[in-house]
Amino acid sequence: MEPSQNKSSSLWQTLFGHPIRAFGVVSLLFLISLAIAPAKNHFSEWRHYQKQYLVLIRGRGDAITLQRHLQPGIQQIWLPELGVVDRCTSCHVGLKEASLADVTTQPFRRHPVIPHTIDQFGCVMCHRGQGAATTVEEAHSSTLAWEEPLLPARYVESSCGQCHRVPLTGTPQLNLGRQLLARNGCVHCHTVKLPDGTTMKATDDPPSLVHIADKTTREWIYAWLKDPAAYAVSATMPNFKLSDDDARDISAFLIANSTPLPGDTAPVAATQKAPDPTAGASLYGESFCASCHAVQNAAGNLVGGDVGPELTRVGSKVKPEWLQVWLRNERIYDPPTEMPHYRFNEQQVALLRTFLLNKTDSDLLANVRLDAATPEQIAHGKTLVTEYGCASCHEVGGIKKPENFAPELTRIGSKPVAQLIFLPGMQHTLPDYIAAKIRNPRSFGSALKMPQYTFAPSQVDALTTALLSLTERARTLPAALAVPAPSASTYQPAGRAGQLMADLGCFSCHAINGRGGDMAPDLTWEGSSVQRPWLAEFLKNPNTLRPALIRRMPRFNLSDGEINELTNYIMTVYQSPAIDRDSMPLSGYPAAQVEQGRQLFYSKYACQSCHIVDTKTDKGYIGPTLTQVGSRLTPAWIYSWLKNPQALRPGTIEPNRNMSDEDARALTAYLATLKSSGKPGTKVARLEARP
Amino acid sequence: MAKTIGNYFDELRGTRVWRSVFRGGTGSSTLRRSLAIQQNVFLHLFSTKVRRRMVGLSATWYLGTLTFGTFLILVVTGILLMLYYHPSVPQAYADMKDLQFVVSSGLFLRNLHRWSAHAMVFLVFAHMFKVFYRGAYRPPREFNWVIGIILLLVTLFLSYTGYLLPWDQLAFWAITVGSNIASAVPLFGNKIHFLMLGGNLVNANALLRFYVLHCMILPLTAILFIAIHFWRIRKDGGLYAQQSEPKTLAARAAGSAAAKGAQ
Repeated sequence: MEPSQNKSSSLWQTLFGHPIRAFGVVSLLFLISLAIAPAKNHFSEWRHYQKQYLVLIRGRGDAITLQRHLQPGIQQIWLPELGVVDRCTSCHVGLKEASLADVTTQPFRRHPVIPHTIDQFGCVMCHRGQGAATTVEEAHSSTLAWEEPLLPARYVESSCGQCHRVPLTGTPQLNLGRQLLARNGCVHCHTVKLPDGTTMKATDDPPSLVHIADKTTREWIYAWLKDPAAYAVSATMPNFKLSDDDARDISAFLIANSTPLPGDTAPVAATQKAPDPTAGASLYGESFCASCHAVQNAAGNLVGGDVGPELTRVGSKVKPEWLQVWLRNERIYDPPTEMPHYRFNEQQVALLRTFLLNKTDSDLLANVRLDAATPEQIAHGKTLVTEYGCASCHEVGGIKKPENFAPELTRIGSKPVAQLIFLPGMQHTLPDYIAAKIRNPRSFGSALKMPQYTFAPSQVDALTTALLSLTERARTLPAALAVPAPSASTYQPAGRAGQLMADLGCFSCHAINGRGGDMAPDLTWEGSSVQRPWLAEFLKNPNTLRPALIRRMPRFNLSDGEINELTNYIMTVYQSPAIDRDSMPLSGYPAAQVEQGRQLFYSKYACQSCHIVDTKTDKGYIGPTLTQVGSRLTPAWIYSWLKNPQALRPGTIEPNRNMSDEDARALTAYLATLKSSGKPGTKVARLEARP
Repeated sequence: MAKTIGNYFDELRGTRVWRSVFRGGTGSSTLRRSLAIQQNVFLHLFSTKVRRRMVGLSATWYLGTLTFGTFLILVVTGILLMLYYHPSVPQAYADMKDLQFVVSSGLFLRNLHRWSAHAMVFLVFAHMFKVFYRGAYRPPREFNWVIGIILLLVTLFLSYTGYLLPWDQLAFWAITVGSNIASAVPLFGNKIHFLMLGGNLVNANALLRFYVLHCMILPLTAILFIAIHFWRIRKDGGLYAQQSEPKTLAARAAGSAAAKGAQ
């Protein structure tokens, strides 16, 4: 100890013993420390990467071009009106170099082709991170002074959603997520205000529970509450993980709270004899119930549409009396339902009722034994229904729909990470938090009310993407950048025809003036398009126009009066201002012109590639069959359509062939001669019957 | 070696240029020395003659000098930082980021300013403790102690106003809390609060006010009082070292000063 202490003290003496020597030593130390700053500046990461880039491009054929493109020094994309200062291009120097397609090492990869240029929006707008930073760590990660790290690539579509409210073809995940948000009823409890000031609307239609006792039994409610997926794999209702007692009490309350509807309890009409079981199935098929309702097949796959509820085990659910009333006219029980009023006759009602009631699952209610409900149980059930916010989705008699039942998600995509409480072992990032919340909400606390959904991993990602698009930035962007969704049309046809169209649920499948579904053709200009006799006949006995399709419009057993009403309305109101129906005659075209049109059809334009005129020779299965098009469409419509199909029906796949007026006129003349021989529809029906 | 440097320095002092600037010539006579001090606008604040013992480390630990040193660093780095900083709400934080990421040695500049500020507050306190426990505040130096207190307050205000300028969350909430303390003053509390912030909340006006205070008013006040402080050292009999005190003063203090035991 002693010598070393001596030694160190003698070193001290040497360096600082004399004031002038001490001054010199301190000055030297000061100079060295001052030199550190410029040295750090010189050996910066971005300079290192720019040097590496030069090495990378040295051996390439286009090295000179690449080198000319490279501007040394810190680069930035500065967009003041967007608040963008992105210096990412200081290291990512090859982003715009198309010839670097083969380079896989970052930061030199070129950017994949996107609809925007990089200089238009910068980098952070889509990828997040800290654009101002010039070091790898600060730019990419969450640091002490920056919360928002890079967005993982699999959620990057969310950034498109900041401006684009309309579904884009390039963002399937975002589109799916938004659809799921609306369809799974997330927005019943969570308010989501969109940047344009509107509030996101749910697209599911949770049934009213006001008359629930008419429809089903307490046992079924109990089983459903315990596990909705056990009844229907496609159930959108989540699992609230209720205890046996809670499910018992809620079912007791819902039954006790239900008020009967007159007529629902009418006894089932006695069927004379057991109906042919295949007749029910074929009526189910002919009525195209499967267009909206799905049924699980033997392999466990859902077959059918997802507009209406799944019917796999419907016989275990509904009461026969209720089903009878529903099949006669579902608008008695549920006036705004999307289901068409089929106008079934009593025999058909009995057939369908028996067919549906046979769809049971004996396991579903096997273990449900419920004693008569006590007043305490009913009262407790009411408390539970209020606490779980059932009325957010369902109409429940005597309970008001709660306001802001769950946290608002309007700005969830920008939620500061510091405000989140993570689970042990979780990555501390916003996307991981959102995904974990969706995957298993109760893992964040057993007392939380949010129920358990059964989402596939891809759906969780999609939902997370949709939620991440709800950023603060989306709300502060210049209004000119927003690509808003078209405002939902509230079009309502007038008069008795309007009532009839509501009753038939036309808008469930057809769109008119921007309102309605996309299962069937848009009817906005239907009056200009079709000929009246054809329309009347079609409404009486619908057939399919497309050879590759089996699905067609169901038959609604309309009376002649109703058909007349509808036909008049359609032919009068749904007229395109661009088409004068009477400008071209229905027939009487010169034979030479017809022949010219026929040749154009088969040779110049090769229409038979997609359409069928002669069922023996033509093989076109893409477009509608044209065998009787002269009876169906007006020549004025045909002419306009040939000139520019997209103008009449945006998005139609028929190409615009830029026909001359003469060609179009000749083709129209030819097509106008293709009249139906006898009863319309027969020829097509024959075609359909062919294997 | 030391001698050689001294010789060079003497030669330098003998040149015409030096003499035209500093007037006092070479030579180490008392007259020359006092002229050299008195004829310099900066040095005239200091005593013409200082005992070697009193500039030894043990006399003051150089705490006052070090404080002044940090102040000089702060002035220099502060002026450089002003070249990059806009006291406006949309720009202030972005300027911090620019200093950190694109200005050459900007991070060093900012850190130097920050650490010097911390060091200055520490050194001011250390200086005061030293003065207090040495009993150097006693007559005839009592007024210089008062000026020292004013300088302490100016230092603290400089620190506080500088804290808002990065315009981050830490700054915002620190100033919110700090200004709310001011509003607890009886009767005038809210007026003071409003006057400080130029409004009821920490916002653009507060940022501008704090900037003006931090870069203009408070530094000028500090320079003024530092000058008085130094000048009073000379007028009050030079740096305090125990043995240099007149016997009468030392005896008068001996009775009351408990601080004496602390040594």
